[in-house]
Amino acid sequence: MSKPKPWQSVLRYILVITWAIIAIFPVFWMATMAFKPKSEWTSAAGTIYWVPQEPTLENFQTVLTEYRGKFFRGNQESALPAIRSSIIIGIAGTAFALVIGTLAAYGLSRFTTETGVIPWYVVLGRLLLLLLVMIPVMLLWARTGIIQTWWGIATYTLVGIVADNLIGRVLGRVYKRGPAGSLSFSILQLRFFPPMAILISVMIMWSAFKLVDTWYGVALIYGVVTFPFVVWLMKSFFDDVPRELDEAAIVDGSSNWGAFFKVVLPLVKGGLASTALFVFILNWSDFLIALLLTNRKWVTIPVFLNTLVTADAGAQHGPKAALGLIAAVPVIIFGIAIQKYLVRGLTFGAIKK
Amino acid sequence: MASIRLENLRKAFGPVVAVDNLSLEIPDGAFAALLGPSGCGKSTTMNMIAGLEIPSSGTIYFSGRPMTDVPPGKRGVGFVFQNYAIFSHMTVAENIGFGLKIAHQHKADIRREVAEVAKLLQLAPMLDMNAGRLSINDMQKVALGRSMITKPGIFLLDEPFSNLDAAFREYMRGELKRIQRRLGQTMIYVTHDQVEAMSMADKIAVMYCGELYQFGSPDEVYNWPENQFVARFIGSPNMNFINCRYQAENGRGFLVQKAGGAKTLVDDQRRRLLEAQTNSDDLVLGIRPEHLKVGCQEADQNCWEASVYAIEPLGPKTVIHLKVAEDLIQVIAPSGYRPHVGERQYIGLAPGRMHIFAGKTKAVIR
Amino acid sequence: MANIALDKVTKRFGRVVAVNGLSLEIHHGEFFCVLGPPGAGKTTTLRLIVGLEQPEEGNILIDGEIANEIHPGRRDIAMMFQNLALYPDKTVFDNIAYPLRERKMPQEQIQARVTSVAKKLYIDHLLQRKPAKLSGGERQRVALGRSLVREPRAYLMDEPLANLDALLRLEMRVELKRLQQELKQTLVYVTHDQVEAMSMADRIAVLNHGVLQQCDVPDVIYSLPTNRFVATVIGSPPTNFIPADVSRVPGELLVAHPAFTLRAAGEGHPLAAALVKNGALPAKTLVGVRPEDLQVFAASPGPDGLPAQVSVIEPLGGETVVDLLFGPDIIKAVIPPDQQFSEGQAVWIRFDPDRIHFFDATSGVRNYTTGRTAGLICAGRVSV
Repeated sequence: MSKPKPWQSVLRYILVITWAIIAIFPVFWMATMAFKPKSEWTSAAGTIYWVPQEPTLENFQTVLTEYRGKFFRGNQESALPAIRSSIIIGIAGTAFALVIGTLAAYGLSRFTTETGVIPWYVVLGRLLLLLLVMIPVMLLWARTGIIQTWWGIATYTLVGIVADNLIGRVLGRVYKRGPAGSLSFSILQLRFFPPMAILISVMIMWSAFKLVDTWYGVALIYGVVTFPFVVWLMKSFFDDVPRELDEAAIVDGSSNWGAFFKVVLPLVKGGLASTALFVFILNWSDFLIALLLTNRKWVTIPVFLNTLVTADAGAQHGPKAALGLIAAVPVIIFGIAIQKYLVRGLTFGAIKK
Repeated sequence: MASIRLENLRKAFGPVVAVDNLSLEIPDGAFAALLGPSGCGKSTTMNMIAGLEIPSSGTIYFSGRPMTDVPPGKRGVGFVFQNYAIFSHMTVAENIGFGLKIAHQHKADIRREVAEVAKLLQLAPMLDMNAGRLSINDMQKVALGRSMITKPGIFLLDEPFSNLDAAFREYMRGELKRIQRRLGQTMIYVTHDQVEAMSMADKIAVMYCGELYQFGSPDEVYNWPENQFVARFIGSPNMNFINCRYQAENGRGFLVQKAGGAKTLVDDQRRRLLEAQTNSDDLVLGIRPEHLKVGCQEADQNCWEASVYAIEPLGPKTVIHLKVAEDLIQVIAPSGYRPHVGERQYIGLAPGRMHIFAGKTKAVIR
Repeated sequence: MANIALDKVTKRFGRVVAVNGLSLEIHHGEFFCVLGPPGAGKTTTLRLIVGLEQPEEGNILIDGEIANEIHPGRRDIAMMFQNLALYPDKTVFDNIAYPLRERKMPQEQIQARVTSVAKKLYIDHLLQRKPAKLSGGERQRVALGRSLVREPRAYLMDEPLANLDALLRLEMRVELKRLQQELKQTLVYVTHDQVEAMSMADRIAVLNHGVLQQCDVPDVIYSLPTNRFVATVIGSPPTNFIPADVSRVPGELLVAHPAFTLRAAGEGHPLAAALVKNGALPAKTLVGVRPEDLQVFAASPGPDGLPAQVSVIEPLGGETVVDLLFGPDIIKAVIPPDQQFSEGQAVWIRFDPDRIHFFDATSGVRNYTTGRTAGLICAGRVSV
């Protein structure tokens, strides 16, 4: 390696600064928009103002209080219920996914020999075979009309799971060394298609179980949908904790659970924190699922924001920007709160390399 | 083949100085070892010689030519690392011949050279085996072969055998030395194991915390250590050290143990040196376990009273640990010797084999 | 105090047999070493004893009871892992106290025990630190403390000194041995370093590929190894093996090599009887001589001197190892440091007539070792 020439360093800085500007600009725009009076963000203004000439808080007022105005839904509510709704659903969904996902990840890390790496022929093989098997089943279900009922969907899912399992085992025997029957893959499969693809079925099932427009209903589906992420992230954190630590705890007298709670879990606090933040952000910014599964009481911020668009008063840029800014606050608070857990190097010194 | 000269080499990583003002000269075709405890700048020095790190200051010369602007690929240096970097999906022959294949040599030539190297490393029966299936010992041999085949003038090895078992390490010592003699390359071997350095190298550079403590042949660092650090580090079991002070009595000089008062007679030449010292109250007496003997007459000059602390039977010899007042020393005794713990023994010192170090500077007084 | 025994234990991992029909008996208060190269099954043996692995066949017996089904935490055996496994987010105090807390010991008692163990190991000033801020030697002692504090009936240690640098290792060896003698507790110690095993153990079990090779006191393993493997593993540099041809002439048994001939005179010489396999004399044998049982001379020492040539010299300070070309073979000899030779020099060597081993050329089993009563004549000009 030779010393970097000066012009190379300058070029690097230029590239980085350019990219930073591009990335930060939309946020900057929204932040300034939130404080602009109506005159500056409507087309009546004439020109574009980079910075508010007469900063005002009226947008925040608009959005946080009830007021008369003709909106899509009739009388307008303030955004406060939506904020409350987002917070409760966000936290509940994150907690649900974290608990179930972390336990699953620990199991995958300690009680299987799966590395999480899956050969391409396994991916292709399982998906194609699954398709082959499930299409006739789907036709049959559709023919009998039960695909539209909640129990039709439920049974179809169960058949799918069983078929997937059997295919995994068959492939495992054919490819003697590959991890074709891997549990990791089955979990990963859950995220191959975007949640949108299954939402109609989910809606049908949720309404059958009266889960629509409830916080636990939405939190539940959020948990299910983010579960694979939690498993995949936490498994790698668990894999970084040497098994000897579990074993030392067991030899010292702990049960398996004891070893998990007292020794291993404290060591992945950082991983848990960053996973929690990641999942919370996913839930917080979700639009589609909340749109379909909420009506009035439990509308979340993204859905509420949407209603600000269809007012006959025109696109309400100002209030939208204000709400956008407000929506950023809980996430920032969360991030700051868990910051100290995001520290690396918790396992330094315990294990010799 | 090249000689290597390091001149005032210095490397700092921020506030941490890994190598400090290092100057060495390694003659062409010599086997040199960089020896020292882990994390003391040996690997950094090697990386600078190879060109993987840029010195903060100082110059490196290969056969008189400065290497400051020469990138690693053009320095004619071969490398072997601790974690054998071989291609596990290729055969042994393909691995070894890789460098030549990249250089677009003829297949027949490659085959011939690979066969030669394989014979040298006793890998010939495994040439067609998949490298991933070998034992880790053989894998490291393959890594060695792969670096050797391009016949670099300088060969750098960074603790190549430290992950492998003791028997293999011993075996490879003789082998590597034989190979180096055969091929005549200049070899630099980094290790923290002084036995390895002693058995293989023509010259050893003893380093710690980036500083060079002594640069000499095995005989020199073993029998004429220049400071206490070298004396302690080289030799197994270690040299014994006893804090003492100088005392003149009736025209003769004695070293008196600080902890217990045991006395040792000092010869005239040393007596003069010690009397010329400014601080003769703060001295360290060093003597190797094999230069101490169990069983001497109480009345003798260089005979100390001690009590047995522990016994280590090592097959052909036994190491006895004894306490002389508060100081713990080790003595080599014949193989069947088995005293009891706590027993009183008399230890004799061979007078010509003492080393005296200044307490503060740790430098030898000679 | 514990009496630990393995009774024909076999453990498999998939197709690999880690431990194969192993039977061992470890006595109360013994310093018992399990020695072998990497992959020999030493760690697996330890894990079987503590209960982290279950045997496929055979039984683990602790104090006479079959312990296969007992949870590791309840066997009252402490284990020190090779990479220590200290709990990194807990202080030294909490690390050492952990096993006591798991046993629900009252707090004052925990406090007392932990501090006393820490004092004994000279780490009492480090009790509030976390493992990351300790040196290698200090971490070692914390791991040791965690085992000691339980006052178990046996200690297991998996290569505890392997990761320390050379100087520290030598110090800790002596300290460990003294500690074990003070405690009078059973210690099962796994290592691949034969010097450690020889210097510390009361008895050594040598393993290879999961099979027990020899189990005996160090002196016997050193001077009467059961087979080639043991003779190679013990002793540094390892035993030299020189292939030779066996033949019988009237009145004598000849063991012939390009550089020397050994003659066993007399029809009833014990060597002949020892070499016989399946009713006949084998055509080949392996002559084994330890490097320290060879002497090297610049000039012929007499009729028993054998010519050789110096290949390379490995000066180790306190002694020198000389690689010699001896006929078609390369052998090593250990000589005192004041003897100087140069590479390529023609020299003479002499075997110690009381320490020549004969190993079966195919199975590696040791057939015979010479001693004072051997009456072996070594020619090519050697005599007993």
